Amino acid sequence: MASPSTWDPWREMHRLQREMERMFADASPMRRWPLGAEFPPINVTRTETGITLEALCPGVDRATLDVSVVGDAVTIRGERKPDPGVNDGQYHRRERVLGAFNRAIALGERLDGERTAATYTSGILRVQLAWHPDTTPRKVPIQA
Amino acid sequence: MATVMNPRTVGAGHERGERAPHTVSPPADIYETEKTYVVVADMPGVAPAGLSVEAERGTLIIRGRPERPATPPDYQEFELGEYYRAFALTEDLNTDGITAVLRDGVLRVEIPKSVQTQPRKIPVKTE
Repeated sequence: MASPSTWDPWREMHRLQREMERMFADASPMRRWPLGAEFPPINVTRTETGITLEALCPGVDRATLDVSVVGDAVTIRGERKPDPGVNDGQYHRRERVLGAFNRAIALGERLDGERTAATYTSGILRVQLAWHPDTTPRKVPIQA
Repeated sequence: MATVMNPRTVGAGHERGERAPHTVSPPADIYETEKTYVVVADMPGVAPAGLSVEAERGTLIIRGRPERPATPPDYQEFELGEYYRAFALTEDLNTDGITAVLRDGVLRVEIPKSVQTQPRKIPVKTE
């Protein structure tokens, strides 16, 4: 029998978390995302002039959806709300993760907030980000 | 007896080993109202043209094919696969009256209960 001093509740919690991650690993593209990690999951693609960021966040109430750019960071906020007027007792199954989210992503180089464009289609938020003009390489003439 | 719509996945593709590598099971909520059952499923990336909802022989099948990017991303946290999920329908549901709406990557399917199983208000006369 393990002595009381060897009992580590945190280790037990981490073990449970790992098991949960394994259980849900194949369930959906969003649940492939490890527990405790940030929501929404993102994909990033470099373009010639900046970056395209895609966030997988279906069913976000558009009034709550917000994208802001400060320095080198993009912040995405929004809320996934349950269907209005439905009580807990009416549910037979609840698998979708709902609620407010807020994720900041630092991209390492200064961004131009004025040249940011975003669309929200089929539950995917696409943000086109441009590098700040100060960060684009400038050719320096070499004097004789 | 309470009416229960069995959310268990049935039919082809149920077993994990039978699935195509990029098929995913969309997470779903199911709730009941006085006259309907409602299935709400997250299927991000699917446009109406890539969606299929079928009710056949007591089974509701939802499928979705998302529009995938032409080039793979440089940094990737999610991958879009094809969605597939089947639900067994009990006999007290009216499959002819099923309606489906896809909005912002969320599919909402409403399945009406048969008239016989809907609660009927019985007027009470007072003397």
